[in-house]
Amino acid sequence: MTRVTSLQATYMTKPVSQKNIVLYADDDPDDLELVQDAFARYAKNVEVITARDGSQALSWLNRLSEEDPRPCLIILDINMPVLNGKEVLKRLRNMEQFGSVPVVLFTTSSMPLDDNFARKYSAGFVTKPLDVNQMQVITELFIDHCSDEIKKNIRKHIL
Amino acid sequence: MTVVEFEALGMTQQVSMLYRHGVYIGKQKRLDQVMLLYQLDHFYVEVIYSRYRRYISRLRCTSSVSVLDPYLEQIDVEQLVG
Repeated sequence: MTRVTSLQATYMTKPVSQKNIVLYADDDPDDLELVQDAFARYAKNVEVITARDGSQALSWLNRLSEEDPRPCLIILDINMPVLNGKEVLKRLRNMEQFGSVPVVLFTTSSMPLDDNFARKYSAGFVTKPLDVNQMQVITELFIDHCSDEIKKNIRKHIL
Repeated sequence: MTVVEFEALGMTQQVSMLYRHGVYIGKQKRLDQVMLLYQLDHFYVEVIYSRYRRYISRLRCTSSVSVLDPYLEQIDVEQLVG
């Protein structure tokens, strides 16, 4: 498995940099790697934190202190063991500190039912790519969900 | 769209069509290959990767429902009823 060394992809540790944090939960290691690689060109401004399921993602968020930076974006696979992406989204929207964090459901599904669910909880919905060539467009779609200030900051330094 | 019409497209167009209109059915791993199965209109398209989501080695189209078998075998019925 290849890794992009310039990208500080951290596995479930607290953020150590002042970069914009993207939290991504997915049980498929190939997809985790794909997204990490896709954000490599924004490595100067983005740190990708990965979780293997929804429960790990929530645990990581709950461990953040008042001083720790919040993620600028949370990307959730739908079908994950322990706690699926939809359930995580529902719980996030009921949490005061993360209720307004941009969330994208990133899934192999293209079902309107899932899309509608995402809309209901004010989240984005992006279908996983069939091949890597679609990933650049998809990464831009992810970034589009961030606030205007964050978007500008992320796109300021593209490698 | 029919299988014949789909097969007449180039791979880039086929992938784009599947991404926009395909209904994902499942994923399976066989030896060193990963395969995703989609339904498109009244036929199925299996995407066969040499490296998952990185390199597609080929697309296989069929109208036969037997293509579903290996994907259905993976469904954990216990989990559904439990």
